Amino acid sequence: MGIFLQILIDGLVIGAFYSLIALGYTMVYGIIKLLNFAHGDLYMIGAFIGFTLLSFITGDGGLNTSVLGIGMIFVITMILVGFVGMGVERIAYRPLLLAPRLSILITALGVSLSLQYTSMNVWGASYKVYPISLPKNGFEIIGAHISYSQIGMILLSALLMLGLRLFIDKTIYGKAMRAIALDQTACSLMGINVYRIISLTFFIGAFLAAGAGIMSGIYYGTVNFMMGFIIGLKAFTAAVLGGIGNITGAMLGGFVLGILEAYGTFYLGGSWKDVLAFGILILFLVFKPTGILGAKEMERM
Amino acid sequence: MIRKYKKQSLLLLTLIMFILPFFLNIYWLDVFTFVLFYVVLAQGLNIVVGYTGLLDLGYAAFFAVGAYTTAILMTTFQWSFWSTLPVAFLLAIISGIIIGTPTLRLRSDYLAIVTLGFGEIVRIVVTNLNITGSASGIYGIPRPSIGGYVISTQKDFYYLILIFAILSVLIVYRLGHSRIGRAWIYIREDEDAAEAMGINRIRLKLLSYASGAVIGSFAGSVFAVKMTAIAPLSFSFLQSVMILLAVVLGGLGSISGVVVGAALVIILPELLRGADDWRYLIFGVALVAMMVFRPQGIWPPQYETEDEDPNDETEDLDGSNTKAPEESPSL
Amino acid sequence: MKKYSAFAIGLLLLFSILLSACSDGESSEKKSNDDDISVGVLLPVTGNNATDGKDMLNAMNMAVEKVNDAGGVLGKKIKLEVADDACDPQTATTAANKLVSQGVIAVVGGYCSGATLPATGVFHNANIPMIVAAANSSELPEQGYESLFLINGLVPDQAKTGTDYFEEQGGKNIAIIHDNSAYAKNLADFAKGYVEENGGKVVAFEAINPEEKDFGSLMTKLKALNPDGTYFTGYYAAGGLMVKQFKEKGVSGSFMVGDGSYSPDIIDIAGAENAEGLLVTATPTANFIPGAEEFVEEYKGKYNLSPGPFSALSFNGMNLLVDALERADTTEADALIKALKETENFEAIGQVIEFNDTNSLNQSNFHVMKVENGDFVLEK
Repeated sequence: MGIFLQILIDGLVIGAFYSLIALGYTMVYGIIKLLNFAHGDLYMIGAFIGFTLLSFITGDGGLNTSVLGIGMIFVITMILVGFVGMGVERIAYRPLLLAPRLSILITALGVSLSLQYTSMNVWGASYKVYPISLPKNGFEIIGAHISYSQIGMILLSALLMLGLRLFIDKTIYGKAMRAIALDQTACSLMGINVYRIISLTFFIGAFLAAGAGIMSGIYYGTVNFMMGFIIGLKAFTAAVLGGIGNITGAMLGGFVLGILEAYGTFYLGGSWKDVLAFGILILFLVFKPTGILGAKEMERM
Repeated sequence: MIRKYKKQSLLLLTLIMFILPFFLNIYWLDVFTFVLFYVVLAQGLNIVVGYTGLLDLGYAAFFAVGAYTTAILMTTFQWSFWSTLPVAFLLAIISGIIIGTPTLRLRSDYLAIVTLGFGEIVRIVVTNLNITGSASGIYGIPRPSIGGYVISTQKDFYYLILIFAILSVLIVYRLGHSRIGRAWIYIREDEDAAEAMGINRIRLKLLSYASGAVIGSFAGSVFAVKMTAIAPLSFSFLQSVMILLAVVLGGLGSISGVVVGAALVIILPELLRGADDWRYLIFGVALVAMMVFRPQGIWPPQYETEDEDPNDETEDLDGSNTKAPEESPSL
Repeated sequence: MKKYSAFAIGLLLLFSILLSACSDGESSEKKSNDDDISVGVLLPVTGNNATDGKDMLNAMNMAVEKVNDAGGVLGKKIKLEVADDACDPQTATTAANKLVSQGVIAVVGGYCSGATLPATGVFHNANIPMIVAAANSSELPEQGYESLFLINGLVPDQAKTGTDYFEEQGGKNIAIIHDNSAYAKNLADFAKGYVEENGGKVVAFEAINPEEKDFGSLMTKLKALNPDGTYFTGYYAAGGLMVKQFKEKGVSGSFMVGDGSYSPDIIDIAGAENAEGLLVTATPTANFIPGAEEFVEEYKGKYNLSPGPFSALSFNGMNLLVDALERADTTEADALIKALKETENFEAIGQVIEFNDTNSLNQSNFHVMKVENGDFVLEK
């Protein structure tokens, strides 16, 4: 029982990261039907900008690492990366919105490579150790050891997701996003600035990914320039699992995938974990492309 | 008129390629050998991505199928190199169909991810299995021989892969200009219309995957005997990306373009040694820039439309020119 | 018109390449006619393992400078030609061929076994002797190349050092984890064999993905198995994170890593407090070797860095080559190989080099080190 619970918690932590990244995928997909390959790399950029800013405040004076300071850095990083996301959309995707699918996918791949290797040239190829780390204490519950940082990670991501949900449901911008997802042409006819809303979507997606990036840096302790690639693929899997284009689905898919992987590692061994994830992805795409929560879609996927 | 020159220049190029080894030192010979590998691989991928318009991000998996088939049969079972080729051929077709079948219903973006997933699965499987030598791969692969002559020097391998490269160019050219090739291009331009015209979408897509797979796997077989050691690292996602880059830079669906693309992808980094850290960054930016400014590639394909206005031609190559603006808002 | 221009571009490209290729060929021929003896260096100087690769290169440069300042060898100066293998097999063969074409008389280097394996084939075919300074997969000598010499202790010796230590401490149930790299898998396989030979039990034999960060469920699995010792054979980036999560999860027993993780970075990544008591099987760095103070001081003075895990070995490798050149009294390959083979009691930093039948060390130099107060100390 203890083990069962322990793995569940382990899985939820991984799942929290997947969910946050999957949200960006799913939002962009929902609006312009683009698979933003570079999304995982925005997570990586977030982790690195956070790393630089945190090194700055911890390196200088040393004791400035109050919760407030860290919180500030979180927000600043997320906003900065949000702008990077907007920039990527403006430079690489907007000129191609009307081009064939193939071109924009290849572009996305190019953006992903560019971000990775820019980061490698700026921050170096080796692993960087995050300047702050979390205390490892926690509590025991029916044989499972749960640390406060695990609880914190899950809560923080839940908070971000709740914020996003409220933004999409309650604000005028959220309404515009939902409208564009339904019918882009009609929206522009109704006077909605479609490009601005698409830009905003990229901003929010990158914003959340950057949040996940810093969280992972603090939680695990190291960052490197390739960290976004695999997790981006996993997050995409999560988005498909939940039903791509569906916000709640992405959250659910992330947690489900995280938990499945945790159990998979336990029972099948770590080396087959990725095969499990990609296997799930392929099975879902082939047999239930709309995912767990996806809407019924008549169009050929 | 132009045609005639084209033939002559092609002959000249082939001739140059044949006498090239006599002017190159061993390092550049090796680089050119890799160029030829990439010509074969990129031509294979050209069928799938260029002709049929299916974005395959796991093409290195087929490369791995050929390399591992040849390596295992030659080391564990002591087969000769040539007798492993039919097996590699069969396995490539089978794996092409295995990857192709589930993806038939998928739209191109999903397809990209599924093929990427398959590529990763293949890499992880060969890393984990003992028969594929797990992480260290297979080494001590014997040299192939023709009659009594053992192919062992750099020059020998250059000629071996050169022959494969010429064959692959010819095959892909013939395929592209056949009924099948025109059907592939039709599928790429408008799948539904193609189907309405009586083209068997499923069969042709599978055929496209299988042909691409076979060419990739032959490159793999030669790669195995040339390197004498193969490891999972050579079949990573980045390898797939580089092959794709060769196709995209050169021009999707263009035979000569893809050859130039392959040469660029291999030779540029060698010329830029010392700027190694910048290599993939440059490639990434190149991908974006190509798609934004010149989606038809450096050397776009020439269809049999010589009497038409060249402007029409480029528009064709941009893809579904009339369809796109209508389609995207509704997406 | 358009077709012409495209074709012209293509031809132009080809000729410019040819031109540069030919000029390169000429220049390399010139190089070999120079008064210098050119020695190849094959190391990962870019990519994930660039840190260790650069540490090794520094040590080699240092050795060469010393030799050249003392008048060189055979009346000539040594010149290093560096080729980057990026720890990737395909890049490594191209790099190896480049060195061959530059006319190097011998090669020193080799870090990742996976990349070194195919490169050794190239040098073997070209009959160029190679001294492998760090890579130590048992697959390297198994190829049976006469021209290949290994001066790092081999994987089986390392596995034995580690597993024997566990046994002495009364550890019976051992968990083994590798990261699916050629070297780590090799080490893990041997460790498994020796644990069983010692009458112990391998309770878990797991692989991880080296880019992985979350070992939570793996550690939960280990915790349930209650191992007396855990041996991770991979590289430090994953090793550090694993040590950290091992401690956080409170898994029983001690944690040991192989020499791929022998780097101060593992302490940084794990955090000093988690790394306390961490065991490492490795050939000690110069810091621990009596009589190596001079080397350490000089290295620090020169590069403003502490020597890396393989710096001393690389320094030794280069010096061994110089010694062999002097004994052979020629740069001719067969004589040089013979001289290397006949090396007797070559006193180097922390090791005495003498080769056995398979051209690997007669006597390995693996020790168990332990992290105490945030630094490595010699345990056994």
